[in-house]
Amino acid sequence: MSHSTYGIPITWFLTVGALLFCIGLFGLMVRRNAIGMLLSIELLLNAANINFLAFGSYLKLPTITGQVFAIFVITLAAAEAAIGLAILINIYRLELHIDADKITAMKL
Amino acid sequence: MTVLGFEITGYQLAFVVLAGVTLGSAAMVVLMPNILRAALFLGLTLLGIAGLYVLMNAPFLAAVQVMIYVGAVTTMIILAIFLSHRFMQVGFTQAIYNPVFAFGAAALMFLFLFITVANSVWVKDITAAGPAQTDVGTHAVAYALLQPYVFPFELASVVLLVALVGAVTIAKEDRPDEP
Repeated sequence: MSHSTYGIPITWFLTVGALLFCIGLFGLMVRRNAIGMLLSIELLLNAANINFLAFGSYLKLPTITGQVFAIFVITLAAAEAAIGLAILINIYRLELHIDADKITAMKL
Repeated sequence: MTVLGFEITGYQLAFVVLAGVTLGSAAMVVLMPNILRAALFLGLTLLGIAGLYVLMNAPFLAAVQVMIYVGAVTTMIILAIFLSHRFMQVGFTQAIYNPVFAFGAAALMFLFLFITVANSVWVKDITAAGPAQTDVGTHAVAYALLQPYVFPFELASVVLLVALVGAVTIAKEDRPDEP
């Protein structure tokens, strides 16, 4: 229970975050399409954000730090998505597929 | 109010609905054989998470989530899918590999996390319902970003600039005949 979130226990938010993290983990393991793996990574980052915000707003004196952390996570996730998609487009242009198991361009 | 015999508040009902939308569409993201539909379901997941942010007294974060994630990142992923249209075919690269092993590992991870959450001792004396006592709204976010966290804030803008220039450079088509 909390004063900041109206009768919703913190464990509910943490459970949703944990479930989202595990769904993203599952997606990361079952996909071989590199864009599908990127989608799963976005799920993982958002699960972490839910935890940051939950702990930030459920402290006895709610602090802003959780929100600030989440803002930086969102910033870095946007940069990561831009770079990742650029790399994937380049790989697609070179090899005409984005199967993560078959990309061998940088293997020794 | 009473739903199915349980006494719940409107906030709890909103939480259950938003969490259901979020988790259901997240499951579709990882299970959809068509990668374009998976990307669209990712947008729905991120919208549900924005709703959860509102329930956690973070309306500014919810707006940021809608603008950056739903508006920009999802659009960018869909554009990348369009730029390489062969991804959209339901075929080899969209298949689900080792689902049993992956489900077992993910379920084990969830079990570990849930046991940790359920067995931890949370502060019990913050039970009074109502709005937050301290200011955690947009004004406080602005103050925090420009006073104590101004250095990481500026660093983040440099990181974004570098990432965008790098993305353009990487994705640019190499034409050797160009001057």
